Amino acid sequence: MATILVNGVRREVQAPADTPLLYVLRNDLELSGPQFGCGLAQCGACSILLDGKEVRSCVTPLSAAGSKEITTLEGLPARWAQQKGLSSAEAAKTLHPVQQAWIEEQTPLCGFCQNGMMIKATELLEHNSSPTVAEIKDAFTTSGPSAHLCRCGSYTAIIEAVQRAGREMAKGGNR
Amino acid sequence: MNPSNAQVSVCGATLTRRGFVQTGGALLVGFGLVGAKNAGAAASKNSLDASLPESWIEIHPDNTILIRTGKSDFGQSTTFTAYRQIVAEELGARFEDITTVVMGDTDRTPDGSGAFDFLGSGTPNIRKAAAYTHQALLDLASQRLGVPKTSLSTKDGVVSGGGKRATFGDLVKGQQLKLTIPVKGDLTSIMGLMVDGNPPLKPVSQYTVVGKSFRNSVTASKVAAKEQWAVDVRLPGMWHARMVHPATLGSTLVSVGALDRTKFPNAQVIVKGNLVGVAAPSEWEAIRAAQQVAAATKWKEWRGLPGHTRLFDFLKRDADWKTTRVTKSEKSKDDVAPALAGAPRKLNATYQLPFMKHAPMGPTMALADVHKDGSVFIYTHNQNPQALRGEIAQMLSTSPDNVVVRTFSGPGHYGRSNGGNAGAEDEAVLLSKELGRPVRVQWMRPEDFQWSTQSPAALSDVQIGLDAKGRMVAYQIDHYMPAMQDDRPIGAVLAGLPTMPAPNEKAVFIGSTVNDIQDPWIYDGVTNIVERGHGTFQVGQKSSPLAVGLRDHSMRTPGQFQQNFPRELAVSEAAALAGADAIQFRIDHAKQERVVNVLKTVRDASGWQTRATRAQNSGAVLRGQGISLMFRSATYWACVTQIAVTPSTGAIKVEKVTVAVDPGIVVNPMQLKRQVEGGTVMGVSIALLEELQFDESGITSRDWRSYPILKMADLPEIKVVLLHRPEVGTYGGGSEAANALAAPAIAAALFDATGKIARRLPLKPEYVQALLKA
Repeated sequence: MATILVNGVRREVQAPADTPLLYVLRNDLELSGPQFGCGLAQCGACSILLDGKEVRSCVTPLSAAGSKEITTLEGLPARWAQQKGLSSAEAAKTLHPVQQAWIEEQTPLCGFCQNGMMIKATELLEHNSSPTVAEIKDAFTTSGPSAHLCRCGSYTAIIEAVQRAGREMAKGGNR
Repeated sequence: MNPSNAQVSVCGATLTRRGFVQTGGALLVGFGLVGAKNAGAAASKNSLDASLPESWIEIHPDNTILIRTGKSDFGQSTTFTAYRQIVAEELGARFEDITTVVMGDTDRTPDGSGAFDFLGSGTPNIRKAAAYTHQALLDLASQRLGVPKTSLSTKDGVVSGGGKRATFGDLVKGQQLKLTIPVKGDLTSIMGLMVDGNPPLKPVSQYTVVGKSFRNSVTASKVAAKEQWAVDVRLPGMWHARMVHPATLGSTLVSVGALDRTKFPNAQVIVKGNLVGVAAPSEWEAIRAAQQVAAATKWKEWRGLPGHTRLFDFLKRDADWKTTRVTKSEKSKDDVAPALAGAPRKLNATYQLPFMKHAPMGPTMALADVHKDGSVFIYTHNQNPQALRGEIAQMLSTSPDNVVVRTFSGPGHYGRSNGGNAGAEDEAVLLSKELGRPVRVQWMRPEDFQWSTQSPAALSDVQIGLDAKGRMVAYQIDHYMPAMQDDRPIGAVLAGLPTMPAPNEKAVFIGSTVNDIQDPWIYDGVTNIVERGHGTFQVGQKSSPLAVGLRDHSMRTPGQFQQNFPRELAVSEAAALAGADAIQFRIDHAKQERVVNVLKTVRDASGWQTRATRAQNSGAVLRGQGISLMFRSATYWACVTQIAVTPSTGAIKVEKVTVAVDPGIVVNPMQLKRQVEGGTVMGVSIALLEELQFDESGITSRDWRSYPILKMADLPEIKVVLLHRPEVGTYGGGSEAANALAAPAIAAALFDATGKIARRLPLKPEYVQALLKA
């Protein structure tokens, strides 16, 4: 039995300690944001934030979570609400600016990789809300265990959405 | 008048008006199967009865509308945007009135077919269904309002005329219309059913919904993690499974490794012929148990493949091109050899394309639930659920009536499952049947590279003759490509269960080794042409004891990519031989106004330098420009690439890609732009990076390191120019083709930059470096 902190809530799980977090999140906690793309930390589809840092849940064992805070795609709205001090009523109807920008820009094609793309964008924009195109390309290509891959080719739309989200985050919200 | 017996003829369809209907008065449109081969099938168990009201479009008393389509959206956005726009337009409703799109489920949608050619060269099934429904609404309103039909019109969900009006919702209250419309085809075949007849379509000049950038309604749920993807479906009592696939593409099973029960107390091993699966209640146990069993399982050795380094020698010298009939394009003359022989200047060249992977971001998976009564439910992500239904029924020697396929969102397949399966679906069914519980089979990343189908390799011999003025006077091309469409479910093959035959020369269309001409000739100024297609069996298929080898499947712009690359690169070479600018050379050989227009548009938009000579270039980085042209699915495409080559490393950086696209009517500019951008990225990836690696036994590309695709750092600037041509009257396709444009334009740009011709893909640094040294 392990207790982990996921999207602000303590959760008890029965899975063996070596189980990759991806399977714990998807199967035990029914959080379907992170996707199984490769199981090899080569694509980014399974990304989550661990204390605000993007990691690949497919190769991160349950035991590595410890007391660190896990944020999944499901937890992005609450993360934003907390950062902005929104009331719970406001928070309930608010998407994270990254998610909202992904809609505005119609970024996903099939959308399977976009969990990792939005997690990566959140990590980037929490440190730099007005990244240049070169900084965005670096973040999505070289800053993590591997590049974040999109087979549908949505990279242009991702860059546009990251920039839009950054503007909204700098302004303080998208409501 | 007794409404229950009224029959009206609507544009060849039979319209029967019925009185009060217990189910509450939705206007339901059903389609009869006049002339259909399997007229009984669509009306049978677990299908929508095409002759009863439930199939395509429901108009509800609250003015909302539901549409159903057998086409599954795989990221094209078409079913959620273009289809809603088209139906709204034909009905005279608002886009927002169409609140529900039901797609892909075999028991809930009417027409089947694959996730390709969504816009049906301008008249997809759903457009005709809507047009018929519009007529039915006008008839109903005419009777209700006492106004002649010809005086009525529809707008924003309201029928009005003669000073009277009624909402669609008012009209359908207590009423039901039954339309019987001629439909042809075979529901569980790859093409599904097609709506027949020619209902009057709304004049394009009156469009108010088509042409606007509506959002994809499924995006919000995907972005907010609220979408139920196929990978998310769970059933009570479900077990997870992993497969233990053979050691090679020709290995039969010697012995199955024993399961270590001390480590995996709950797991079970299932063996059926050469099919081995390991299942367990928890996914992690299934994964680890399968790894343990795989390590201890013994397979016969097999070496029947040439390996990718010898591939083109094999195709040229050893492959059997004689058994399969040679095809010829319609525009082909009998013989252009004399014209070629007489030409003062000639190009004579061979072009090669490697095997490539569809490479979806998520490995294939399916959840199957085989009930005790023999009924089968499959929950998956599939481009042709009705075809899968037929294949599963065949495997189990049962009727398609007993099989239901439900389709959920998933990773793009790019054609891999448009023949019904992508892998795992059949295996999940077999394991569920054995275990008597729902089983979810998820392939791991290496399996998805090593056991899925590929886009076939190809080679083409081209000869172009130029006259003294540098005009093309003769063109001959011979395309060679192994069979492209192997729709046999691999689990069924391994288990020795019934499937369609392996690709062969006698098959018609699907599973045929025949290589049809897919790339229409559009240089109409040149009529002295011969285009031939030569086909053969899949590589390794004949020698593999499993009859599999390198299984192929159509991938985005299938066949046409393999034929357009050599043509377009050869035409660019011919332009250089003629001492002409590559775009002007094309314009000078074209006659169709839309071809010329798309070329001029891309020239203006891209910053193309019009010049009759190569780029004047020297230094550490050489820059060049290239062009390509294609006609596909009623759409004209032209693409310019500008690249920078670093001779010291051989690295190519694609700096800018400009695509001009003329589909006739642009249904949704924003969605089309995103599709073209995406296809362009895939095209650059194919050009620079992608080549299936395999040895004598099997595929050695097993992950994203051994099969790299383009990363964001290498994204070029992409400029998309949409040519909206409403006067054309139809809408062409926009998802495919874009991925095929970049490669011939990049190779042409490499030639422009360096004077060296790269006639095979991918343009990896070591290949480019070797060319530059040669």
